[in-house]
Amino acid sequence: MMRMFRSEWMKLRRTVIWALAVISPLLAGVTGFLSAGDYENGQEGVWQIALGIMGLLHAMLFLPLLTGVFAALLCRFEHTGGGWKQLLALPVSRSSVYAVKFIYIMLLLAITQLLFLAALLATGLLLGFAEPIPWRMLLVSALGGWLACLPLAALQLAVSVAWSSFAAPLAVNVIFTIPNILIINSAQYGPYYPWAQPLLAMVPRDEMGFGAFNLSPETLLGVILVSFVVFLLGGWGYFIRKAV
Amino acid sequence: MSKWIVETNQLTKKLGGKAVVSDVNLRIKEGDIYGFLGPNGAGKTTTIRMLLGLAKPTYGHVHIFGHELARKRIEILRKVGSLVEYPSFYGHLTAYDNLEAVRRLLDVPRSRIDQVLEVVRLTKEARRAVKGYSLGMKQRLGIATALLGQPQLLVLDEPTNGLDPAGILEIRELIKRMPQEHGVTILVSSHLLSEIDQMANRVGIITKGKMIFQDETQVLRQQARSRIQLAVSEPEEAWRMLLAHGYHVDWDRQQLTAELTDDKAVATMVAALVQHEFAVYRVQEESASLEQIFLNMTGGEGSL
Repeated sequence: MMRMFRSEWMKLRRTVIWALAVISPLLAGVTGFLSAGDYENGQEGVWQIALGIMGLLHAMLFLPLLTGVFAALLCRFEHTGGGWKQLLALPVSRSSVYAVKFIYIMLLLAITQLLFLAALLATGLLLGFAEPIPWRMLLVSALGGWLACLPLAALQLAVSVAWSSFAAPLAVNVIFTIPNILIINSAQYGPYYPWAQPLLAMVPRDEMGFGAFNLSPETLLGVILVSFVVFLLGGWGYFIRKAV
Repeated sequence: MSKWIVETNQLTKKLGGKAVVSDVNLRIKEGDIYGFLGPNGAGKTTTIRMLLGLAKPTYGHVHIFGHELARKRIEILRKVGSLVEYPSFYGHLTAYDNLEAVRRLLDVPRSRIDQVLEVVRLTKEARRAVKGYSLGMKQRLGIATALLGQPQLLVLDEPTNGLDPAGILEIRELIKRMPQEHGVTILVSSHLLSEIDQMANRVGIITKGKMIFQDETQVLRQQARSRIQLAVSEPEEAWRMLLAHGYHVDWDRQQLTAELTDDKAVATMVAALVQHEFAVYRVQEESASLEQIFLNMTGGEGSL
């Protein structure tokens, strides 16, 4: 497994994939900074407002899109050069190949989340927020957003493995990400929609008291974990049987 | 442990109800260069994919090194190097990094990379991104990758596909050297009989998913029945005369040929021609090309 991990690193280290992890936090930082007028100095909960503003675009759009892009990129190396054949004819178990691909998606997303947190802190410090940094809230938000990507990452990996095209899984991802704007309004469907889960988990509930945001964190976490297990097992089951 | 390095029993693969590979019993022994021959789409690659565990047989078994593939896939693959269909590589990486990515999985010493690069003569180009490589260089890199784990069995699917004559020659020499220098057994597939004829000591011929011949290359050559071609004055009259004397000769309005192989029969036939005052210009043996045998076996179909 460790060997697999190090081999995958060889393929990844000099690619554009790293640049992608930076884009969304950077944009979020710019948004946060430009919304300086929204934070009245000395206002209570200024960090929470900033998180709401910056997190909206990041979690509603970029986080789900990036999850799909990472999954597709990680499989692209294998699809284009006939890598699946070479890789799977080596003495490696298919499960570990699949697991390592998944771990890398989550690792890249973790980097994205850390950078987002850094962007948020930088915005607050630059604008001179008077309130002390609410570490707990910020960490819960970043971690929650990351956990909420689990089902989507599992789903996108399955799709990316199945389709040898690079664009197809991405197109699917975009098509399903856009309706987020509507779906988060629905308390009934929102939590079950993998593309909306990162936003629901990440943005503070008090900030958006409508639609699916009213859900308790426990329910959301439950839905996320169950759908994660279902998607991961489905994709893994498909991959270990797949003829290449 | 059986004496076969590779042994398949009733290996069958059905795709959409149609048998792409059907009842194939492959037998490869240690030190063989086994030529796996068949027209395009005959089932060569499908068979090879099943040998490597890339696809599952519909039924039948694969034994490699005496162990069943389905049970000991990882142990077996540790000792197998392969190149399937076209070389696999990560285009954005250099040849060296491509080999390194595979080396990390095989857990062999780093010095192996330089060794295999040397074998396929890519040492000088090793630091260039593979996407800028010519097809021949990619093919050589593919072989280098296959050799990386010091395999005891090398599976090369169409290794000369798309190469120019110089490249083909180079790969062929490389393959021929391998069993002596590195003690490996090789399975090499091709749709070109002349290719296999020049490398392999054993041949398996597959067409429409069925194995129609499997034996020493020698045996295949013996099936090439030779004929005697005669160039004489007035061949048509000569043909009539020879037929009247009970010789089996053919006249196709251009060439007079006799289905004879033993020396005595040829001698008496030539004597008969001389006695009847035909001028004999040439008597030459024309051995049927292996291509012809192959076409006969495969029922005249397939590209060669």
